[in-house]
Amino acid sequence: MAEARAERIDPFTIEIVKDALVAIGDEMFVSLQHTAKSTIIYEVLDYASGLVDARGQLITQGNGVTGFLGTLTFAVRSVLDKFGVEGLQPGDVLITNDPYTGGGTHLSDVTLVVPIFYQSRLLAFSACKAHWTEVGGKDPGSWTTDATEVFQEGLQFPCVKLFEAGRPNAALIDLIEANVRLPDMTRGDMEAQVASLRLGERRFCQLCDKYGVDVVTGSIEALMEHGERLTRLELARLPRGTYVAEDMIDDDGIGNGPFPVRVAVTLTGEELVCDFTGTHPQVPGPVNCTLTGLHSGARTVLKAITSPSIPVNEGCFRPLRVTCPPGTIFTAQRPAPVSTYWETMEYVTDLIWKALAPVVPDRLPAGHFLSVCGVVVAGLHPDSGELFLLVEPQAGGWGAGAAKDGEQGLMCVGDGETYVIPVEVAEARYGILVDRYQLDVTDAGAGRYRGGRGCIRDYRAVSDEITLTATFGRHKYLPWGVDGGFPGSRNEVRIFHADGREVVLGKCARYRLRKGEVARLVTGTGGGWGSPLDRPVERVVEDVRDGYVTVAQAARDYGVLVDEATLELKGLSAERTARARGEAGG
Amino acid sequence: MKRAPRVAVDIGGTFTDLVYLDEAGGTGTGKALTTPHRFADAVMQVLSEADLAGVEFLAHGTTVIINALTERRGARTALLTTRGFRDVLEIQKANRPDLYNLLYRKPEPFVPRRLRLEATERMNHKGEELVPLDEEDVRLAVEAARRQGAEAVAICFLHSYANPAHERQAAEIIRELWPEAVVTVSHQLTGEWREYDRTSTAVLDAYVKPIAGRYLAELTERLEAAGVSRRSAFAMQSNGGVTRFEVAAEAPIHLVESGPVGGVIGAAAIGELIGEPDLITLDIGGTTAKASLIERGRLRVAGDYFIERTPTTAGYPIKIPVVDIVEIGAGGGSIAWFDPAGALKVGPRSAGADPGPACYGRGGSEPTVTDANVVAGRIDPDYFLGGRLRLQADRARAALQPIVERLGVGLEEAALGLIRIANANMIHLLRLVSVRRGKDVREFSLVAYGGGGAMHATALARELRIRRVIVPPNPGHFSAWGMLMADLRHDLVQTRFVRLDAVSIEELRRLWAELEGRLGATFAEEGVGEVVFSRAADMRYAGQEHAVQVPLPDLDGSEPEFWAEVERRFHEHHERLYGFRLASPCEFVNFRLTGLARVRKPSLRPLPPGGGLEQARKGTRMVHFDEVGRHPTPILERDLLGPDAVVQGPAVVEEPAACTVVFPDQTLRVDRFGNLIVETEVP
Repeated sequence: MAEARAERIDPFTIEIVKDALVAIGDEMFVSLQHTAKSTIIYEVLDYASGLVDARGQLITQGNGVTGFLGTLTFAVRSVLDKFGVEGLQPGDVLITNDPYTGGGTHLSDVTLVVPIFYQSRLLAFSACKAHWTEVGGKDPGSWTTDATEVFQEGLQFPCVKLFEAGRPNAALIDLIEANVRLPDMTRGDMEAQVASLRLGERRFCQLCDKYGVDVVTGSIEALMEHGERLTRLELARLPRGTYVAEDMIDDDGIGNGPFPVRVAVTLTGEELVCDFTGTHPQVPGPVNCTLTGLHSGARTVLKAITSPSIPVNEGCFRPLRVTCPPGTIFTAQRPAPVSTYWETMEYVTDLIWKALAPVVPDRLPAGHFLSVCGVVVAGLHPDSGELFLLVEPQAGGWGAGAAKDGEQGLMCVGDGETYVIPVEVAEARYGILVDRYQLDVTDAGAGRYRGGRGCIRDYRAVSDEITLTATFGRHKYLPWGVDGGFPGSRNEVRIFHADGREVVLGKCARYRLRKGEVARLVTGTGGGWGSPLDRPVERVVEDVRDGYVTVAQAARDYGVLVDEATLELKGLSAERTARARGEAGG
Repeated sequence: MKRAPRVAVDIGGTFTDLVYLDEAGGTGTGKALTTPHRFADAVMQVLSEADLAGVEFLAHGTTVIINALTERRGARTALLTTRGFRDVLEIQKANRPDLYNLLYRKPEPFVPRRLRLEATERMNHKGEELVPLDEEDVRLAVEAARRQGAEAVAICFLHSYANPAHERQAAEIIRELWPEAVVTVSHQLTGEWREYDRTSTAVLDAYVKPIAGRYLAELTERLEAAGVSRRSAFAMQSNGGVTRFEVAAEAPIHLVESGPVGGVIGAAAIGELIGEPDLITLDIGGTTAKASLIERGRLRVAGDYFIERTPTTAGYPIKIPVVDIVEIGAGGGSIAWFDPAGALKVGPRSAGADPGPACYGRGGSEPTVTDANVVAGRIDPDYFLGGRLRLQADRARAALQPIVERLGVGLEEAALGLIRIANANMIHLLRLVSVRRGKDVREFSLVAYGGGGAMHATALARELRIRRVIVPPNPGHFSAWGMLMADLRHDLVQTRFVRLDAVSIEELRRLWAELEGRLGATFAEEGVGEVVFSRAADMRYAGQEHAVQVPLPDLDGSEPEFWAEVERRFHEHHERLYGFRLASPCEFVNFRLTGLARVRKPSLRPLPPGGGLEQARKGTRMVHFDEVGRHPTPILERDLLGPDAVVQGPAVVEEPAACTVVFPDQTLRVDRFGNLIVETEVP
C-alpha cells in the first residue's frame, strides 16, 4: 500500500522530503549538543538522536558515535511492546535504559522517546539516546570495572513515562534527583534531551503540514528502500564466501579471563550473515554486551563495507543477519553486569572486520587499538573543593590500509565525532596536571604500510587524592596486522607512585593516586599491512627523521640502517637485500 | 574618467572586480581576469579603469591567503611548543567525522614532526608559572629550524591565554637570534583556551605570513607608484572590517575570508539605507551558494571558523573572528546526477566556468541548474552576460534528456524538478543560518546577489514565507561594492572562566581597561583616534561547555543593576537559542571586545526619476513558474527601469550579470537607490 502511495508522489518531491527528514535528525542532534550539561554529551558526543516510524523502523539518525548505530529502534520497539499504540498519547515522553530488552546498552545510556501524533494519528517517534554522566550506582560516574550485578550500576528505567500527556512525572524526577550524585547535571541532560525530541516532533509535524501525511509517509518508505538498494548494490560486488575470525577478550576486570570469541561471516552477494556461535558465555565482571550492542557492532561493519557516506536508515540494515545463542558475552541476560559493555561490543565489530579485511581491502584497514580506553578521574577540585568527574575516551593508533599508513591518534571505531578533551580544559576543570600528550613511538606496527601510533597522556594528581577508573582493552591481545604486516602494541595504564613503584594494568576501579603521583595512559599502535621489507627505503628514512620510527626499529623490522647521529641512510640489512634480489631475479 | 575617491578591488576565482564611487556619488565598475600566479597584476590592471589621483580609501579583498593555504604554497614553518606537547598539532581533536569510513584520513599537519620543536616551560590555568622557560631550548630550536630551511616559526605554549610571558620571552629570543625569520605568537592571535585550536591558528598564520608580506609589500609599492598613498590602502579582513596593509601583514590570517565578507557588509549598508535591519544574505555563484545573517544591522561574527572542514573531514580550526558565512555546493553550474540507487541529486559537483553548463556549448554535457533555468524560460539564452555568451538552448534540452527518460517525466517537468531540488538545497542553507541559530526566517528580508542570487531568491522567499527580496544594483560586483562600506575593525577575545558571583564589577572594569588599551594600540598603528568599543561575553550555565554570546550592559551603572541585567540577557539569549532556561548559576568563559573606527563614507545618491515600464519592456516570452504555472511573461531591462517603477508579476527583469524572476503573486518595486524590491504576499 505504501508503495502504491509512493508511486503517485512526484519523484522530485520525494527527494526533497527525504532530505528534509534527514535534516530533522541533524537538527535534533545539534540541538542536544548545544544544550547538554555533561561533557560526555557535548564534547564526546556520546549520543544519538533521530526519527523512527510508527512500526519501529529507523527513518534517520544523527550519530556522534558509531556505537549507537540503530539502537534507537530497539528502544522504540520496547515502547510499542509495552504500551501499544493505544497506550500512548500526545505529550508523552518515555524513558528506558534496560540493557536486556529495552534497546539499552548499559545503564548510563538513557533513551528518551516521544511519540509523534499528527491529526490524532501516531505517525512516528523521535528518540534520543545519550550517556548521562551520573545515573547513581555504587561508583561516581556510574559505570565501573568491577560491578558484579546490574543493581550496582545505577538506576534502571524499565520503559516508563517521564512525561504523561505533557505533564512531567514529578515523582519519577524527584526519585532520579535523589539517586544520582550530580542531580543538576543529570537534570540538565534530561531537559536538553526532551527539548531536542520536541524539536524533532515539531519539525516532523511541520513537514506533514506542508506536504501532507501521504507524501511524508511515502517518502519515508522511499528513503528506506533507497538505503536498502544502495546497500545491496555494494554487497553484490563483494567476494562471496564464508570467512572466520577468532580473538580473545583480555578479562572481565575482576580476575576472570581470557575469553575466546568467534565469528563466521558469510557474504552471499545479497546479505551479510554473521554467526557468533562458539563465543564464550557471559561472565561475572561488567564487560558483558547485550543484544542491542551486538547488533550495533555488526551494523557498523555493514555500513563500513557498503555505503559509509549515505544517511543511516532501516533499509540499510535489512540485508544484515546476526545470529548468536543467548547467554554469551555478546548476548548477556539479566542480571549480568554490563557497565563496560562497549569494550566487548568493539570486539563484535573487530571480529567481523578482521574476517573481512583481507577480502575487502578497499574499505577495511588492519586492526586498530580498538578499546575506547575510557577513564573516569574523580576527586575534589583544588580551587573550588567541589567534586569533579573527568570522563573521557582516548585517541589511539589505527591499522595500516592496503594503500595507506595507519592514522595516528584517532578515536576508536566505537567512537566517532568524538573529541579529546583539550589539555587546557582538563587542567582548568579537574584537579590534574597533564605532563605530556604525545605520540607513542613503539617498536610495533611495522609493515609495507605501517600502523599509526597511539598516544601517551600523563595525568598528575594536583589535589590530595584522586581516583582513577580505567578500562583499557587489548591490553593482552594485540591489534592485528594483515598480509605480513606486524601486530600493533597494547593499550596500558602505567601508574608512577611517589615511592618509585610502577604499576602496569589494563583495567582498574577507583585506583587511588596521591598528590604528585602520575597515571600514564598509553594507547596502542595499529597493525601493519604487508611486509615491512617491502616499504620503500626512503619512506623508512623519512619516518626515522620525523621520529615516527626509531633507528632500532628501522634496522630490525625494515632492514634499513640509518645513522643515529646524522639520520642518513647507512645501508640495508642482508635480509632486505636478499629479498630485493630475489624479487628482481624471480 | 572621473576622479574616484573611494575604490574597492576584490579578487575572485575567475574575475578581479573593481567598484568605485566618483565624486558625484555615482558608481563605476570594472572587471579583469584574475592572474593566479601574480594576483597584483590583475589588481593593477583593473585599477587602471579608474582615475586614482584622488583616492582617499582603497579597500582590497584578496584570495592570496586562502589560496596559499588550500594549495599548500606557504612557507616552510617550524613550531615551538611546551615540552611534551609537540604532537598536539598532529593528534588534533582526534575525531572521526566520517563515522563509517574506516580508511578515514586525518588532516595532515602543516608542520612536519621534525620541525615541531619543544622547550621546557610551564604555566598553569591560572597563569602561574610552574617551570621557567629554558632559554637554551629556544636557542636549540632556532638552530634546528634554521638548519632545516624553515622561514617562519609559530610559538604556542600551554595556557598562554592566561599568561603569555613565556611566549613573549621565546619570541624575543628568536627575533634576536634570527631576525630574518617570521614569527607568530599564539596569544597575540587569540586569547582563548584549547591548545590545539590556538596552535593551529598560530601555525597557519606563520605559514602564510611570508607570502602575504611579499604580496602586500609589492602591492603597496605599485599602488604608490600609481598615486595611492599607503595610508589609504586597506585590506578586507574576515571580521567584516578593514585594516591598513601594514597592520594586515603582521597577522595575515585575519584575511583568510577576505573576499566573501564584502557582500555581507554591503547588505548591511543597504539595509541601513532603506531601513531594513534584519537581513539574510544570499550569494549564488557558479559553484556555491553562501548565506549569512544580519540582525539589527549587525553582522554575525563567529569564533569557530575552520578551513577545509566538511561533514566528512575534520579540517583545521582558525580561532579568529570571521563573519559567519555558511556555504554549500549549489550554484548555477551544479550538476544533476543519479546516485547508484536511482535518487536524483543536484550538486555539489559543479561544471564550474569551464566547461560550464551544457548550454555554454563548451563541451559540458551534464545537466546543470543553469540548463534547467534555460529550459524553464527563466534565462534568455540570447541575453546571458548581456549577450556576451550566447547560450544554446538545444544543448540544455539534450542534457536534461536522461532525467526525462529515467523518471518518465516531461522536459519542462524535469527542468522544474531539478530547480526545485536545487532550491531545496538553498532553503536548507537559509535554514542553517537562521532556524539553526534560533531565528525565525520570516522576520528577515533576503538580499540576493552574485550571478544566480536574484534568479532563485524569489522562489525561496515564497517557500520560506519571507516577505521581501532585495536585489541591489550591480549584483555581480556586490562583494567589491560592500567593501567600500567597511569600517576599521579589530577584535580581542580573552578566556577567563569565572562564575558571576565570584567576580566584581571592579575586576571587569580592570579587565576591559586592559583589553581596550591593547586594541587602542592597534588602532593607533592605523592612525585612528576615535574608536567605538563594544563588549560581549561568552556565557553559559556552570558545567556546560557551549556558551552563548551576550552583549554586556554598560559598566557605569550600579552594581546590582548591572548583574541583574547581565543575568537577564543571558537567560533570554539562551532561551531564544535553545528553547529553555535553567535555574543553575551562570559563568563567564570569554570576554570579547570589538573596536570600530568609522570610515567617512559618501552618502549614496538617489537615482533621477526614470522612464516608465514601457520603455524597459523588451518583449514577452513563456516562463514556467512551477506550481503557479506557465505564463506569457513580460521581459524588462533593469537599466531602463527608473526608481519608483512598480511591476506586478509575472515578470523577468534582466541585466547583464543577473536576472530577477518575479512570480505571478509577487510585486516588484524599484527604490530610489535602484534596488529591486520583490514583495511576496504572506498571509
